[in-house]
Amino acid sequence: MNRTLVNSLGSIKRELVNFSRSQKFYFVLVAMAIMAITPLFVSDYVVGEVLTPIIIFALYASSWNLLASSGQGSLGHAAFLGIGGFASALLAVKSGIPPIVGLFLGSLLSATIGLLIGLACVRLKAWFLAMVTFGFSVIIVTIFSQFDDFTGAVMGFRTPLIVERGVPFYYMTFAFAVISIFIMYLIMKSKLGLAFRAIHQNEVEAKMIGINTGKYRLIAFVISTFFAGLAGGLYAQSIRYIQVSIFDPYYSFLPLMMAVIGGLGTIEGPIIGSAIIVTIDRYLPGIDSVLQGFLHPLFPSVSNVGPPLRMLGLGLFLLVVVIFAPKGVAPLIRKAYKYLRSSLKEEKT
Amino acid sequence: MITVSGLIEALLWGVADGCIYILLATGLNLIFGVMKLVNFAHGQLLMIGAYIAFTVTTALGLNAYLAILVAMGAVAVIGVGLERFTFRRVLGTDKLNEIFVSLGLIYVFENAAVLLWGNTTHQIASPFQGLLSLGQISIDYNRLLAILVVIVILIALFLLLKKTKIGLAMRATSQKSNASMLMGVNIEKVYILTFALGAALAGAAGALYGIIFNFNPTIGALPTIKAFAIIIIGGLGSIPGAVVGGLLYGIAENTAVYFLGGIWRDAIAFTLLIIVLVIRPTGIFGEKGE
Repeated sequence: MNRTLVNSLGSIKRELVNFSRSQKFYFVLVAMAIMAITPLFVSDYVVGEVLTPIIIFALYASSWNLLASSGQGSLGHAAFLGIGGFASALLAVKSGIPPIVGLFLGSLLSATIGLLIGLACVRLKAWFLAMVTFGFSVIIVTIFSQFDDFTGAVMGFRTPLIVERGVPFYYMTFAFAVISIFIMYLIMKSKLGLAFRAIHQNEVEAKMIGINTGKYRLIAFVISTFFAGLAGGLYAQSIRYIQVSIFDPYYSFLPLMMAVIGGLGTIEGPIIGSAIIVTIDRYLPGIDSVLQGFLHPLFPSVSNVGPPLRMLGLGLFLLVVVIFAPKGVAPLIRKAYKYLRSSLKEEKT
Repeated sequence: MITVSGLIEALLWGVADGCIYILLATGLNLIFGVMKLVNFAHGQLLMIGAYIAFTVTTALGLNAYLAILVAMGAVAVIGVGLERFTFRRVLGTDKLNEIFVSLGLIYVFENAAVLLWGNTTHQIASPFQGLLSLGQISIDYNRLLAILVVIVILIALFLLLKKTKIGLAMRATSQKSNASMLMGVNIEKVYILTFALGAALAGAAGALYGIIFNFNPTIGALPTIKAFAIIIIGGLGSIPGAVVGGLLYGIAENTAVYFLGGIWRDAIAFTLLIIVLVIRPTGIFGEKGE
């Protein structure tokens, strides 16, 4: 274990040096600078309801993506989002510790439970793992509702804040997300990430070249659930309210959609996916009344055709991406950039 | 109050509920056995089957039990489309892709059902209402009929698999697809037929579900997981295993409700699933895991 750790640290250091010299580094810097100054130019609604959720879900989807990069597709990540959210809020409310400490303790609790579930999952194939994680997210709803006196899960309660909502909260989540995603990037680039990818591609062969697959799959589980818990804590604060509905399958499927649509196994994929889906989610309802106007005669049994139609579209979008562009949207963007750059160069010469 | 007659009643109702899950689990198992593919959207096919049966009974005034046949046929056609246009394209690629496709299908089916039939709860009107009482034990006629229907369907399935040429081709493909291809079996045809058969079973399960329970567009998810629990208890790819597993599961669920109370009905499925998977990842009756 120690040697692996030293090896991993060594490869992380190398990766850091490489990263700071690469072209990607400037890209990331520019993107971060844009994200940092945007709140100065847009309304508070956009900051609170669009940009902040994009960042939180980018973190959440990245945590899912890290787990998937080791070949483990979780269908119950909402369990960890919810555990992180509830634990951090409950700790701050019940014991009076500062919310920021609660946030970390909540993530740690999420990772601990992730370790236990991971132990049950390490031997399982893709679909059983998906079922077990999904099942766990349903069991946890029953447990939280059963102990409602303590958790207050059914009615929900107000979450204590670390910083004021709006722009300050945006910068805080931004900082958390940048650090977390950067840590995940380093993990994916280190030997650890290489082991994850090897397990994903062919578990038997990975075992044959001496990778302790069980151990690495467990490590992926713990890291992923830690960051999912962190995202949950942040999410509970961003909507100011936490309720048992955070365990809904919707929240389990969301990171999957984002990561797959953006680009599975890449670092930018979940971020792009989160931006796409949150934007659709916030702005498309604007045309609901128009749709209702001319689609109502077709579907008379629905009072509002907008939401189901949007979800249907999302499902079709996922199908199209998986079938026709299995690497997601990110490589397409990369290709477009390369094409642009080469055509610009041609113009210069 | 726990009484012997109460327990027997729970067992009997458990067998009836288990029958519906047996159909679903058998379909899933068949598809898995032949195609090595897991369709997580199988429960949504059940839901669509329930709606189709509901529509033909209300719009055409068909007998609810004849509507089962209509539901089977219609869902089989949907199954052919699914196999042809979605699953075939990801077959043999990354296993996670099957999960992603299933998830996309879940979204498509659930929301298409909302658009077509609305978000409200329905139940299929059955011509046989009322309870059959035997002393202190009672069971409703629809559950008894469901048991009968499932027995008939399973016998038909058994005959199809054991006595016909296409059944032989399916069994050969499930054992070794490459070898059966070399023996002149048209694998693609076998895949389509298998998927249609599995979907038809889900459609029948849906019609029975709609006769016994209330349903709405979101009911599909839980039966899928229950079918999974059954498959895991019974062993992957084994149809007799699915039957035994389904009966055991239905009984476990109903006795758990009897002893612990109604909110445990659904949690019990996952608890069972996780316990079995942790102790024996290959299932109780399973020979070897995939």
